[in-house]
Amino acid sequence: MKQSPDMARLEQVLRSGRIVRGGFLGTDRRPLAEIIEADRAAVTRRGLTCERIAGRMAELTAAAMGRLGTWVDAGGGLQVRAEEHKGLIVCPWPHPARCRKRITTARRSETGQALQWTDLSIHLIGKHAFFQGRESAFRMEPDALIDFLGLTGEATAEDAGIWPTPKR
Amino acid sequence: MAQAVLAVLAISGVAAMLALILVVAERFIARYGSCTIDINQGTRQITIEGGKSLLNVLTEEKLFIPSACGGRGTCGYCKVTIREGGGPILPTETPFLTADEQEQGLRLSCQVKVRNDLVIKIPEELLSVREYTAVCEKIEDLTYDMKRFILRLQEPDRIDYVPGQYVQLLCPPYPGSDEEVYRAYSIASDPAETGRVDLIIRRVPNGICTTWCFEHLQEGQTVRINGPYGEFRLSDNPAPALFIAGGSGMAPFVSILHQMEHAHDTRSVRYFYGGNQVRDLCLLDEMKRFEEHLEDFTFVPVVAEPGPEESWDGRRGLVTEAVSEEFDNLADYEAYLCGSPGMIDAAIKVLKSLGIDKARVYYDKFA
Amino acid sequence: MSLSQELQTALVVCFSAVFTQNILLTLFLGMCPFTSVSREVRTALGLGGAVVFVMTCTVVLNWMAYHWLLVKLDLEFFRFVLFIVIIAAFVQFVEMVIDRYSPRLYQNLGIFLPLITVNCAILGASLFMVIRDYTLLVSLGWGFGAGVGWLLAILAMAGIRQRLDESRVPVGLRGPGITLIIAGLMALAFIGFSGVLG
Ligand SMILES: Cc1cc2nc3c(=O)[nH]c(=O)nc-3n(C[C@H](O)[C@H](O)[C@H](O)COP(=O)(O)OP(=O)(O)OC[C@H]3O[C@@H](n4cnc5c(N)ncnc54)[C@H](O)[C@@H]3O)c2cc1C
Ligand code: FES
Ligand SMILES: [Zn+2]
Repeated sequence: MKQSPDMARLEQVLRSGRIVRGGFLGTDRRPLAEIIEADRAAVTRRGLTCERIAGRMAELTAAAMGRLGTWVDAGGGLQVRAEEHKGLIVCPWPHPARCRKRITTARRSETGQALQWTDLSIHLIGKHAFFQGRESAFRMEPDALIDFLGLTGEATAEDAGIWPTPKR
Repeated sequence: MAQAVLAVLAISGVAAMLALILVVAERFIARYGSCTIDINQGTRQITIEGGKSLLNVLTEEKLFIPSACGGRGTCGYCKVTIREGGGPILPTETPFLTADEQEQGLRLSCQVKVRNDLVIKIPEELLSVREYTAVCEKIEDLTYDMKRFILRLQEPDRIDYVPGQYVQLLCPPYPGSDEEVYRAYSIASDPAETGRVDLIIRRVPNGICTTWCFEHLQEGQTVRINGPYGEFRLSDNPAPALFIAGGSGMAPFVSILHQMEHAHDTRSVRYFYGGNQVRDLCLLDEMKRFEEHLEDFTFVPVVAEPGPEESWDGRRGLVTEAVSEEFDNLADYEAYLCGSPGMIDAAIKVLKSLGIDKARVYYDKFA
Repeated sequence: MSLSQELQTALVVCFSAVFTQNILLTLFLGMCPFTSVSREVRTALGLGGAVVFVMTCTVVLNWMAYHWLLVKLDLEFFRFVLFIVIIAAFVQFVEMVIDRYSPRLYQNLGIFLPLITVNCAILGASLFMVIRDYTLLVSLGWGFGAGVGWLLAILAMAGIRQRLDESRVPVGLRGPGITLIIAGLMALAFIGFSGVLG
């Protein structure tokens, strides 16, 4: 299926190394629309929205701020730290959005399992439902991310299966 | 047979005619002819073939307008004032221009296509920005994730700058990054050595320019920089000063301390330099040297959480906490800040609570 | 046929092209951009506007080329090649002109023009004009009407799809699947118009 010219142009920007090193799509050969659709579906299956996930990530980043790069206990068994570099990075979507070059590392105290994201990742997930392509440097698997953050949705995976319960 | 020939002729004729129309149209419509751009009321005039974006034209003329998005109209850095000939403001520009700016004729230079004569105005400082080629003479490890790059200028072979200013380093395309990008780095060298520019660079995970500097740039290689830019500098006021920095924020202060040494500056300076662990601190020896040579300079390194194997008998905690412990009242002080925006925000909060005059807190806002 | 009669026919043809004979929903031409560029009302409007313009102009241009050239030379069978070449050249030309004289319009419409060159609805409109033996004036009405009909359909679809984002579509039907189903329902609805113009 043909993509709209804006979408095709966007995909080209995302594949190129123009905004971040190695681009945002990694080794993923699927068209952009398909990547987004698949990840969005994964999120809906869990009864969640991308905004909610991004909101939680932003909360954790905010909790880490003010401690200038040292570990902070963020509650819920998570520790976070945020490291920041000077400068701004722009969103590849054609709209004015700039993010700080800030990297948040979160770790589960009991397992030691850790995840890393940047302010740009939060924006991309929250505003564009874009979790990046396979093997991109900051790709986040929706399911793994949701488990890690300990978020639970309104519907379980079972009822969201083939016929999801409609929203009231 | 005759019909076949006729058919071929007719179709080729039509196609040829259409092609001709397009070629002629291209000549008259898509050609803009030569256009003259007048910069700052005749300070400079350039004449070029129209059709390119204003940003491209200015860059080709070695007039460097800041840009972070490579001319895609999404960063909003590339503003210039167009007095005449800019045409209507495009939908891609409006999100970046306030009503006031639109009134003054500000435009995004990457979106404006040069299609006729233009009269424009760009900030005076940008006119003195030059491009330099330099040889990367030496690369030194400062910490596990910071390096110092010593650049020897070639062409032009000297640079005039005010300590505290920064240059933009050109990072060429390399595997993983398809386009030239520029990144800002503060000058960290002795201003008396006009042929040399030192940069202190901290590695950024998956960063375009820092990965190139750390993995590809070799000693002896030629690089390009342009500059100087920035308003960050030591004031003429002899009031006691507080420097606060973290990580690579050390860079501009090295240059400023050299300047003070040469000028026999006697003002009192307290320099708080913070890191998470001892291994994050750099240039401790050099700071010791400045303590010996400057009249009234104290260097206070602060470590948040020394690692398990690290020994540290200096101050502990965040750099901002160290400042609030040390002082009760900063009303007579000036403060100079360099570091991440997060550190700057936190420091401003602390400084305000200690009664400092906001107008006397200096830092690079353009970050 | 007198001029007023011809005008009347043109109007009727134009109307029926918008509703009863909708090129998209009854003839299913131009489906490809219809399914892929109907995510947002704004882009749909841009593409639809460009289609209206290009369709109107190319139908007229192709009418002239067909009747004044091919028919005279007895080369009617060459119409496919000729129409495609004319459409492509026309789109190129228009792109050049609006790029030069109206940067604002170029921003809104220009990016869609190349996509239109290969849109089958555009070629289809010219071919129907030949099959149905329209006069020049009637062809004008037909081209314009067909374009507006296409615009209407994609706009409606984009409106529906924007709302669809908030509803829970069965997993396997997401994307093109549900779009085609909706297109089918819309086509049924448009058949309801067929009584209007007997
Ligand atoms: C006035 C000024 C002075 C400065 N002085 C200095 C200095 O003296 N020393 C110094 O070290 N720096 C300095 N900087 C910062 C410097 O300019 C650069 O911003 C910094 O080095 C990072 O550049 P980069 O090209 O390596 O990273 P970039 O490629 O520009 O940005 C990387 C950001 O995007 C993130 N990212 C990468 N890939 C992805 C992905 N797939 N998804 C989501 N996020 C991703 C990265 O983690 C990081 O946060 C200064 C900046 C300014 C504005
Ligand atoms: S260069 Fe980024 S908006 Fe113009
Ligand atoms: Zn965005």
